[in-house]
Amino acid sequence: MITLRALTKRYGEKTVVDDLTFDVEPGRVTGFLGPNGAGKSTTMRMVLGLDRPSGGEALVGGRHYAELRHPVREVGAMLDAGSVHPARSAGRHLLAMARSNGVPERRVEEVLGAVGLTDVAGKRAGTFSLGMSQRLGVAGALLGDPGILLFDEPVNGLDPDGLRWIRQLMRSLAEQGRTVLVSSHLMSEMQLTADQLVVIGRGRLLADAPVGEFLAGESRQAVHVRLPGEAARRALAARLHGAGADTEHRGGGELVVHGMPVERVGDLAHELGIRLHGLSSQAVSLEQAYLELTAASAEYTTPARETEV
Amino acid sequence: MAAMTATEITTADERTGGGLHGAIHAEWTKLWSVRSTWWTVSAAALLLIGYTALAAISVRVQADNGGPEEVLPSAPQITTEAVFFLAQYAVLAVATLFVAGEYATGGIRATLQWVPDRTRVLLAKCAALLPALFALGAALAAVSLVIAVPAIGGAGGGFTVGEGVRASLAVGTYWALLGAFALGIGTALRSVAGALTVSFVALVVLPMLCGAVGLPAVIDYLPGIAGLNLMLGPDAVNNITGQPVPYPGWAAVALLAAWSGAALAVGNAVLRNRDAG
Ligand SMILES: Nc1ncnc2c1ncn2[C@@H]1O[C@H](COP(=O)(O)OP(=O)(O)OP(=O)(O)O)[C@@H](O)[C@H]1O
Ligand SMILES: [Mg+2]
Repeated sequence: MITLRALTKRYGEKTVVDDLTFDVEPGRVTGFLGPNGAGKSTTMRMVLGLDRPSGGEALVGGRHYAELRHPVREVGAMLDAGSVHPARSAGRHLLAMARSNGVPERRVEEVLGAVGLTDVAGKRAGTFSLGMSQRLGVAGALLGDPGILLFDEPVNGLDPDGLRWIRQLMRSLAEQGRTVLVSSHLMSEMQLTADQLVVIGRGRLLADAPVGEFLAGESRQAVHVRLPGEAARRALAARLHGAGADTEHRGGGELVVHGMPVERVGDLAHELGIRLHGLSSQAVSLEQAYLELTAASAEYTTPARETEV
Repeated sequence: MAAMTATEITTADERTGGGLHGAIHAEWTKLWSVRSTWWTVSAAALLLIGYTALAAISVRVQADNGGPEEVLPSAPQITTEAVFFLAQYAVLAVATLFVAGEYATGGIRATLQWVPDRTRVLLAKCAALLPALFALGAALAAVSLVIAVPAIGGAGGGFTVGEGVRASLAVGTYWALLGAFALGIGTALRSVAGALTVSFVALVVLPMLCGAVGLPAVIDYLPGIAGLNLMLGPDAVNNITGQPVPYPGWAAVALLAAWSGAALAVGNAVLRNRDAG
């Protein structure tokens, strides 16, 4: 169990983690989602006692990380940026880790085998490919057989085989009753692995819900309308805005309507006497739902596509 | 790449260790598992023994050519010069890399994850590094003295076995305390280049500066010169200040320990208060 209470981190004037409160429960995979710069890594570093919160607190198993007598045996973590000395071999790195926390040294062999790095145990970590570094990170997280695990973007740099492996690993760790927090900015990835989703944007909590629930709600439906011409499209868009819906112009006579059920869009078009060439309701994919949720809070965005207001 | 799932990983049941002992064991493992440690230690050995041997031969040649016997250095004095002018920079490098290098590589995040008590991390680094530096310094100094004796061939000042032992122990002590100083500076500054610069300024530039601005009384209390005085011994004339060594050996050790303690205290404060980096 990981507990965040009003967790806040400021760098100078900038608040990068803003009053986060949520729990990460054992026995399931919790996806930790947010666009680049949302504050995921910073939050994880605070959980691990690496960065000091500006406010609030983060607890692992009810205690501060710094209070753990053998932290490696209670919390396993794989951080995004490498934390392995490039000149040290993978085996020596894990051996030092094991010795620091009194983990039996044979565990080094075991976890190296588990991540498929046995053959390169004697090679310097600096020579590893991104995917191999990620595997070494996973090996470190597993070394102390901890009940709580944090993975910061573990799928980075993994090949399809590695992707499948890491998904299975997350699932099996959760099935064993462990607490698993996995960050990512790819909803599609989390859709496949996570049971619970915590979404943040600009350091703030945007959603904390089971994956299924995340999709529910009318705002998660979009209505696609195809109209015969530009004039008809303008007229209908104006009417829809008046009724409180948002529209998006997709070029030609295409219009995407948010925040209004498909029946009502049809009725309004009928009222105006506008002919429709197409009218359909489409469930928004988790990816789109996520994009919608975070659009307003994305830290670094490419210029937004033209949206008609 | 073959990969198993976590279900096949056995449980870590034999749970012992950790604490300060574990932290020291881990730091010891880390110290000797990077090549830079072996390179810098080899460099220290080469510089110390090489300089001593060459200087000893040079003394013999000077004596053979009828040089003034009384100003020619003894073997312990040559060894001291070798440490002060050359080998101490290798010691500085190994200690600085040991801590500041972790900030460059990100290794510090792993270190603090394994051992979240930050003062314990610094203690463990000291406990792993300083005895090793002491032993290396003393052993290498002894070896260089043994090499110097036949090379110098009766020229220069003589020395007793007791003086040789004392000189070797002094070199070991200086290396250990210099290592502690560099660990403190490296922890405080978190940058290899920055820490090396500051240490160099403290050891070399400051004495020159103090001499230049007319504060010669201060020079003997700076860390590098205190180390030099320690190695020269109480009866010698310091060849940097040109004055006799003004205090006994234990005072030199106390002075050095104070400098190292201060550096470590600053480093510890920074380590405890700042984010991991
Ligand atoms: N040490 C620091 N000093 C100043 N700002 C920082 C520091 N560390 C992080 N930040 C800022 O905090 C914000 C959050 O960064 P963080 O790395 O936590 O985001 P993230 O969600 O992990 O992003 P990504 O998906 O790109 O990994 C960013 O704007 C970043 O620039
Ligand atoms: Mg990140």
